[in-house]
Amino acid sequence: MELRLQGKFATTPGTRDVLPPESVRLLEVQDKVRERFRAWGFREVITPALEYSEVIEEPRLRDTSFKLFDADNQMLMLRPEMTAPIARLVSQRLRNSPPPYKLSYSLPVYRRTRVGRGQSAEFHQAGVEVVGSTSPAEDAGAVALLVDVFEALDLRAREDFAVVLGQTAFYEGYLQRRAPEAATELLSALAAKDLAKVDAFADALPDEAAAGAREIPRIVGPAADGSVLERAGKYAEEGKARQALENLRGILDHLEAYGCLEAVILDLGLIGRYNYYTGAVYEAYSPGLGFTVASGGRYDNLLERFGRPLPATGFAISLERLLSVLPEKDPEPLLVLVGGSVEATRSANLLRQSGVPVLQLAEDLPPEKTAAYARAVDASWVCYPAQEDRLKLARVEDGRIGDFELVSVDEIAWKVLS
Amino acid sequence: MSGLRVAVPKGAIFGDALRALEAAGFSVEALRGNGRRLVYREADAEFILSRPSDVPVFVEYGAADIGIVGKDVLEEQEPNVIELKDLGTGFCRMVLAAPEREAERMQQRISHSEVVRVATKFPRTTQRYFEEMGRQAEVIALHGSVELAPLVGLAECIVDLTATGTTLRENHLVVLDEISTSTARLISNRGSYRLRNAEIVALVEAIERSGVSIG
Repeated sequence: MELRLQGKFATTPGTRDVLPPESVRLLEVQDKVRERFRAWGFREVITPALEYSEVIEEPRLRDTSFKLFDADNQMLMLRPEMTAPIARLVSQRLRNSPPPYKLSYSLPVYRRTRVGRGQSAEFHQAGVEVVGSTSPAEDAGAVALLVDVFEALDLRAREDFAVVLGQTAFYEGYLQRRAPEAATELLSALAAKDLAKVDAFADALPDEAAAGAREIPRIVGPAADGSVLERAGKYAEEGKARQALENLRGILDHLEAYGCLEAVILDLGLIGRYNYYTGAVYEAYSPGLGFTVASGGRYDNLLERFGRPLPATGFAISLERLLSVLPEKDPEPLLVLVGGSVEATRSANLLRQSGVPVLQLAEDLPPEKTAAYARAVDASWVCYPAQEDRLKLARVEDGRIGDFELVSVDEIAWKVLS
Repeated sequence: MSGLRVAVPKGAIFGDALRALEAAGFSVEALRGNGRRLVYREADAEFILSRPSDVPVFVEYGAADIGIVGKDVLEEQEPNVIELKDLGTGFCRMVLAAPEREAERMQQRISHSEVVRVATKFPRTTQRYFEEMGRQAEVIALHGSVELAPLVGLAECIVDLTATGTTLRENHLVVLDEISTSTARLISNRGSYRLRNAEIVALVEAIERSGVSIG
């Protein structure tokens, strides 16, 4: 029987060690995401994992965050998300440089989880924030960047992912004008995604207000299909609702210019968490995963808390979830070179110079042990030094070594890298 | 992929759930048999049978696109799903109940904010109820036969669901307060609702047209 480890040598609940090949894939995905963020001019920042608890205001996030106390007995939190820390950073550190600020991050965040919910207490978020602009071009830019990231990772629009886009100010504007007394209840019911409750409140309204109260949250359809906005247009004669719809139209115009309208589904019932988003709001979904892969939106009121009222918009991608919906990919080629001789070292060096990733084993293992080792490190080739400048090379498939052939360093590079 | 995957709860609202699905045009006859199968593949949809309290889990994680479940379960678990429709069926009440001969004394103790010991299958609902009233409770979570708890001294009162009140009466329990009422709800996964909106809307509309709900 295997020796059982004592409890305290496990990782803490909700956390885990990430091993190859998953860790390698996670880092590759992170690199790709960063590359796209940079291509759009975002500059990456790093904030501390610990923040004063006052920085995070959202009650649900405060409840689920890990808390500790510093030497002055101040309550600290392990950051449960990145938007508030970035808002703090912008307010404190960037006073002397001109807005808009286009910042990105890729960092782990921490949330307490309940056992049995299959959630992680530590996961990686990569995202961007645009602070200091109200332009719909920035909202559209954020959505288009999200689409760009997914496509750069070989996901196909609509088949593998879709970005669902809403505009919180539309329903809010409609209610404030048509049913101000019920607006709060209806908005919080919708934020709780409870359409049955929305219906119950709407039933109590006068007929002309009830129609929109019931209908608007149910306007869902492809952004490329003009009839979706037509349906919404009926409820946007004037005021804030009208402006919100115009804003949404503006965003869609830019998305069309980006050529990514196909990836977008409109949902005027999507308003995000209650009283947080102020305009465009969006969530990315992939068929087969019940959760959002990414989410974001416009939050023009958040920075006021930090003494620097600036409009802002941005999104966060959950890298682990993104990874879980990506197609399988073969690992990068790796060659195991067996031998501790100076000759073997020389060959390894030459091979690396010609671009072949080489893991040199200084132990002189026989082929069957090398096969097991190659399998454990996901290597697809093994080789042994043979005579002068030639080596014995064989492919590893399903943990078994194929036939050896005598080849030169150049030939190895050609075979392994092709 | 063709057809939605629907989570159907076994137990009390099983019949109501099947009637609603039938009204939406699904062929559910196979589910009515007394089989032990958990998955039924039909031409137009796939049905999975689960405990009522597991339905929101399957739907939240996207293992089912839609499901039918009592509001009581949704209030207890607060899953991140979209509640599409009140089906109006499967009506029941969430009540606070105590043994008949203790009833008056319990009422008094609760109103004096004394700590009472409550057994329930709905610990979060119970905790919330007492907190909102400004009263105190020691909540004991059980998985079944909650009525047993006050009879053997495990708890002084219970919070449980009742449709007709028969079980309460048989165990000499009386209702002290009604906490909430519950009916069956149609729920949807957040992603499925957007990605397969046309199919889901068609289903909701078919249920509405059939008038199966009593409202």
